Amino acid sequence: MAGDTGEATLAGPAGPQEHGPDASAAVRVRDLTVSFPTPDGPLPAVAGVSLDLARGQITGLVGESGSGKSTLALTLLGAVPAPGHVASGSVIIDDVGDVLAMRRPELRQVRGAKIGYVFQASQNSLNPLKPVGKQVLDVGRSHGVRDVRKLLHSARLLIDEMGLDAERVLASYQHELSGGMRQRVGIVLALVLNAHVLILDEPTTALDTLTQASVLDIVRKVHAERRLTTLVISHDMGVVGDLADRMAVMYAGRIVEEGPTAEVLASPKHPYTRGLLTAMPRITGDVAEARPLQGRVPDLASVPRQGCVFRPRCPLADDICASLEPPDTVLGDRRFACHVTAGEAA
Amino acid sequence: MIEGRAITRTFAARRGMLGHRGVRALRGVDFTIPDRGAVSFIGESGCGKTTLGRILCGLESFDGGDLIIGDQAMAGLKPRQRAPYHRRIQMIHQDPYSALNPTRTIGQVLAAPLALRARQTGAGRGWLERRRSELLGLVGLDPDYVLPRYPHMLSGGMRQRVVIARALTVDPDVLVADEAVSMIDVSLRLGILQLLRGLRDAVGVSLLFITHDIATARYVGQGGQLYVIYRGSVVEQGDTDTVIQHPAHPYTQCLLSAIPVMRGIELPGPERVVPTGPLDERSEPQGCLFEPRCPFAEQDCGAAPPVLSQLGGTQQSHACLHPARRSVVAVPAPTGAA
Amino acid sequence: MTTTAALTPEQLQRAMRRSRQRTASRWRLFVNTPSRFVSCVILVVFTLMAIAGPYLYPANLPIDPNNIYGPPSLAHPLGTDFEGTDTLALIVTGARYVLLAALIAALITVFIGTAAGLAAGYYPRLAGSTIMQVTDFVLAIPGFPVLLVLSTIWHFSSVLQMGVALGIFGWGGIARAVRAQTLSLRERGFVEAARGLGLPGGHIIRTEMLPNVAPFIGMNLMLQLTGFIYIEIGLFFLGAVPYSTNNWGVMLNNAVFQANAVTSPRALAYLLSPLICILLITLALVTLANAVDEFFNPRLRRI
Repeated sequence: MAGDTGEATLAGPAGPQEHGPDASAAVRVRDLTVSFPTPDGPLPAVAGVSLDLARGQITGLVGESGSGKSTLALTLLGAVPAPGHVASGSVIIDDVGDVLAMRRPELRQVRGAKIGYVFQASQNSLNPLKPVGKQVLDVGRSHGVRDVRKLLHSARLLIDEMGLDAERVLASYQHELSGGMRQRVGIVLALVLNAHVLILDEPTTALDTLTQASVLDIVRKVHAERRLTTLVISHDMGVVGDLADRMAVMYAGRIVEEGPTAEVLASPKHPYTRGLLTAMPRITGDVAEARPLQGRVPDLASVPRQGCVFRPRCPLADDICASLEPPDTVLGDRRFACHVTAGEAA
Repeated sequence: MIEGRAITRTFAARRGMLGHRGVRALRGVDFTIPDRGAVSFIGESGCGKTTLGRILCGLESFDGGDLIIGDQAMAGLKPRQRAPYHRRIQMIHQDPYSALNPTRTIGQVLAAPLALRARQTGAGRGWLERRRSELLGLVGLDPDYVLPRYPHMLSGGMRQRVVIARALTVDPDVLVADEAVSMIDVSLRLGILQLLRGLRDAVGVSLLFITHDIATARYVGQGGQLYVIYRGSVVEQGDTDTVIQHPAHPYTQCLLSAIPVMRGIELPGPERVVPTGPLDERSEPQGCLFEPRCPFAEQDCGAAPPVLSQLGGTQQSHACLHPARRSVVAVPAPTGAA
Repeated sequence: MTTTAALTPEQLQRAMRRSRQRTASRWRLFVNTPSRFVSCVILVVFTLMAIAGPYLYPANLPIDPNNIYGPPSLAHPLGTDFEGTDTLALIVTGARYVLLAALIAALITVFIGTAAGLAAGYYPRLAGSTIMQVTDFVLAIPGFPVLLVLSTIWHFSSVLQMGVALGIFGWGGIARAVRAQTLSLRERGFVEAARGLGLPGGHIIRTEMLPNVAPFIGMNLMLQLTGFIYIEIGLFFLGAVPYSTNNWGVMLNNAVFQANAVTSPRALAYLLSPLICILLITLALVTLANAVDEFFNPRLRRI
């Protein structure tokens, strides 16, 4: 594990205590810090993050732009976007080891075969010059799969499960498919080699309501049938709230709250989580009670270097919040990092 | 007041697609936007709602029907004559970044239309700067911070506010917000929605809110009308809250059923509805457009296109021959259900 | 609700001064890598040569019949030509014609091409097709052969004439490309908004479109310069008039055909001098073309 190199040290939160049947977690992230060079020195996009993806469960990660969630997701694949680099921490995948300690050849084997990553449909991550079928073959070839027919057969089955016409999809180019179909193809490509960990980055962004619902249904179905460990990343708390068994809320590179979805949503402990829930346009609830969050979404340079990162926008901010970064408070199966609410009754 | 009567628009078929007659984006849509009112158009991509918004702003033409702005019908006027009327309707685009010229500061962006206005009204010196700061204040931005900056130095929410301020420089009657918050972070959306709603009172402007996200329409369209559009026709229309709580048309019910339900604080509506198949843009059914995908379709649904009515004793108008009440919207979970 | 605390007038003044300073630092883009720095130096040297060169030497360069095609020496660092005239002197005094003509030609093509492209792109129905037909006509003219033929009847005695002749035939490509960019820019949100706000077409083209097309034009200008230098040299190498001994193309012609510099080591310096000058200028322009693109990029402006 690389050590810090002259960065501002942060009194980061402690890793999650061994709460719950944690040893069975399929993916364990410990104290992960990913830094980017800036004119003001290296700054962390992900700061001391510890997270478990429980085996067989869907974990959701909620965060806005600038929260570091995409950096975190890519780091799980060992694909830290340049010019960032991992300053410290580990990402241990169950039967594979620490992804961050691996070299390129090992990593290439892990990606696709053990971990499937699905990009946003709108990011056009499919090759525009090749039909989908060829891309499936590419995936197989890069992993040394020899039984091509079996691979295509698995792909066909997967596509059928998604409710699409397999032959037509395999023959199509990316521009011939709608947004929802592209998203589904992304999921097929991620799972065609029978990975057991699936990461979905903003799977429903830029999709229509009906399409969104069908993609969520498919994720649920595929997750259950293949007994996957799934991570869903979204800025939309509704998506995470519907899909995930456990959820984590990320702000300015840190996980500020984590726990079973129903509990976190029903009684949020961190002021940011509470603020997000109140600021979210929803179909239920009193319109007059909605309150926008104060302040601006922070970027790398404007995150406070000392004390709680949420303090500039927090309605509960106290003196201690300015000087000391809050440690994790553990409450049964949950944890959250706030000085003020730690003192509240559970 | 703006009125649309039987507006039709067909996009010509692309060459080389044999037998493809062209896309019928709008099939005779009627709507009214009252003064200081709020109207929402809800639908999925391709349903024609964006085209309708663009027709209102003068960015697209229409093939049939008429558009009445103020008391003037547009159909009889030449494009150049229509321009001053369409100027009273300003568009707020979905993408706040491409809606602002990246090579100009915010100060310059707002100065251009204000300078035009100053010349037209013969305003004195200093009026431009004053009005500019006034408009920025109206949209909740600090002029000193924003004026010297370029668009890429501002967050998405701030850019969208600048776009709204720019739209207000010509004192419009209607603001058309086409997916105005879709590309903005969730925590900032409410601010923009509340701003838009507030402008109705502050400035006396009407709002046309176009979106696929019905939840956002609730915040802007209070006390206003909601139109649900499917494949270029209005399938349901009525008071916003009524349509959301008691949807009559199966398509509206599908849209509302599709909204994610948050565990712990919401319970799914017990009678949720899903379309039976995907949308086929090429099909031109004889009867109800939604019939091929409707889980409740009956024999007579395929015979002739239903017209808007209040069949079944509903408060709103809808285009279904067999409307039925279904509880599709999520309900708040009883507290303590964690 | 407001997003940040308001600045006091003094703070605002300071911020604006800093912004001006940092905007000025955009010029540093032209020297921020070693290759760019060297390129700038090269261009500055040649520009000075073009401006001041003819004043550094007498109008009629001295000839020295005893030192024809002489090798490089202390007195003549680049050797001498067929009359014994110092090659370095020839290069320095010849720079002005070559560079100035290329500059004039490049400016003409960029000016006409941009105007045509913007008009055709912004008014596709009114002006577009007419302008494009003219453009296609110009594009179809084989510039170089036509100039060669023209040179038999038209003696390009002045720099301006050369520049105009080159420029007249060369604006087609830019016009097409600018038109394409304009057509696509026209659909962008801010242009639609400007139209919707009632801003006049001229204003939109000048203030909305042009700054967004500027990086392309800037880069093109640099590349056109290199192109025109080649064409000029080519014309003179092939024998177009005017014939003057310090003309780089004429020097090449003499070196190849009279001194047989290609096949014998004699007069090698005479051959290589203009070649290397052209090479250096071309490299410098191409390297900086990239910097020009970045220079116009608004994202690089910082407050």
